[in-house]
Amino acid sequence: MSTVNIKHKGDRLYYAILYTVLGLFCFTTVFPFIYSLVLSFNDGYDALRGGIYFWPRKFTLENYEMAFAHPQIMTSFRVTVLRTLVTTVLSVGLTAMMAYGLTEKKLPGRTGIVFYFFFTTLFSGGLIPTYVLYRQMGLINNFWVFVLPGLFSFYNTVIMRTSFEGIPAALTESARIDGAKEMTIFTRLIIPLSLPVFATIALFVGVGNWNDWFAGAFYIQFKKDLVPASTLLYQLISEASFESSMSTTTGQMQMNEQLMMAKATGTTPESLRLTFVIIIVTPILMVYPFLQRYFVKGVMIGSIKG
Amino acid sequence: MTKALTLKGRDYDTKMSLGARMWKYRAFYFFLLPAIIWYAIFCYYPMYGVLIAFKNFKFNLGILGSDWVGLRYFRNFLGDPYFWTIVKNTLVISLLKLFCGFPAPIILALFLNEVRNVRYKKLVQTLSYLPHFVSWVVVVALLTKLLSPNNGAINELRQAINPNASSVFYLGEPGWFYPIIVLSDIWKNVGWGSIIYLAALTAIDPEQYEAAELDGANRWQKMGHITLPGIYPTIGILMILSLSGILNAGFDQIYLLQKPSTLHLSEVLDTYVLKRGLQQGHYSYSTAVGIFRSVISMVLIVTVNGISRRTSEVSLW
Repeated sequence: MSTVNIKHKGDRLYYAILYTVLGLFCFTTVFPFIYSLVLSFNDGYDALRGGIYFWPRKFTLENYEMAFAHPQIMTSFRVTVLRTLVTTVLSVGLTAMMAYGLTEKKLPGRTGIVFYFFFTTLFSGGLIPTYVLYRQMGLINNFWVFVLPGLFSFYNTVIMRTSFEGIPAALTESARIDGAKEMTIFTRLIIPLSLPVFATIALFVGVGNWNDWFAGAFYIQFKKDLVPASTLLYQLISEASFESSMSTTTGQMQMNEQLMMAKATGTTPESLRLTFVIIIVTPILMVYPFLQRYFVKGVMIGSIKG
Repeated sequence: MTKALTLKGRDYDTKMSLGARMWKYRAFYFFLLPAIIWYAIFCYYPMYGVLIAFKNFKFNLGILGSDWVGLRYFRNFLGDPYFWTIVKNTLVISLLKLFCGFPAPIILALFLNEVRNVRYKKLVQTLSYLPHFVSWVVVVALLTKLLSPNNGAINELRQAINPNASSVFYLGEPGWFYPIIVLSDIWKNVGWGSIIYLAALTAIDPEQYEAAELDGANRWQKMGHITLPGIYPTIGILMILSLSGILNAGFDQIYLLQKPSTLHLSEVLDTYVLKRGLQQGHYSYSTAVGIFRSVISMVLIVTVNGISRRTSEVSLW
């Protein structure tokens, strides 16, 4: 056992530097979040004077009251929650089916089927043919554009299949001898034994959906009640960066009017934006640390076999 | 004999006809069926849709009904006044990210590997994964405030050090575009990227270190002769992946961070396809640009993988 006694002076200095550097690294990682958290709890007009970094100077909940009373922000979160739940449930179930289908090594045509899936990771039609497909399928301005395109991923399937292959073959074989159908083996044996990998894939798919702003920005046009939270935040930032020159479309008009109204209270467009950031980030923050053990394993499998 | 019994005839598969074997495993086809259909629609149909690039595509005529124009749009792209700027920007951004961003997770993993306090190590790891789980939209919202010329933290810090310093609009300043792209990319991905290296590091046999200590090796010798060689294969695999993604400069990040004042440095293939295609409606032209990018990417990954397999036995497949 190489137990480490910090006995030499050089050692002590070494560890002091190491721990300080990593401490600074953590600070740069976390500070932007703390900064906007603090500003979201501070009066927006007071914040314009600057100088707030770690603690609110003029504490207020008005930003949050404003955000939660804002009809478009609330609609956008409903869209985000709904799309995330629907996609995650469907995707995990279907990915598991696909992964289990690939575990049978003797399946006639298996190599060809694997290549059929794998090839799509090398070459894709690209943005425009995909857009044409969505238009032809009627997915533009349709809720299902958030769900259907994200149902499968080769990477996630590989992670799941590897996990399934770790289940002792003796278990499935004995179930088969007892006359169990493949469907029964899948639902009664494979799924209960693979909950960690289900959690991992659910996290990956769920976070991806929660964060997706692209579909809402380019496949949803003039339908405000289908704009997800990430897309709304994107619209707020680009509106802010292009000043008012962009405020001609209806959605942004409403946003501006709302922000004008905000001037009566202690809320500025900036403080509302940062509050929005905190509201979007919080659910993710509450989930990922608890799944760490599982997704770390998933990443390892994915990068070795993927 | 016993084996044949327990396997209930599964070893006799080879003697069965193809049809009989397929029937025997029909349940697995059923499991694969939704995926096969989905891939046909969402991956292979768009591949067929690349025909758009060779046609003068009109929505009302459909893909087949539109007129053939051959390679006109590819020629147009090669003659596009922005062609070289876009290709150059794409390569410059990717290469900058590769040179600066690739070693970062390795260094973080090496640092973390030296930490003896388990709880401290775990804390640093958990925090380091955080930026991976937020979207680029959130990152850009955070950056916009941090780097704001109106009392953003960075400008305030500069002015605290030098009261005469004037505010800098970092996000609109062409000279700051690449540093911001590279640093924010590292900030977002370094923790997540370190996972795989940490896994490789923990797989190194501790006996090697003990043997080296007995031989009087110091910390740096151990790192150079045991630790680094132990993760070379992992570095190799990830290097192949990065090299083959060289035309993928990172759409979300660049699209969200570019400003009119930085367009001459920030317009890349992906953002150009989006603007010309989805925003301006030049469907055939953008598809041609997209194909240009996809084909080069595919050739790159196959070539790099082939070279690597032949020279170092490190390969993806």
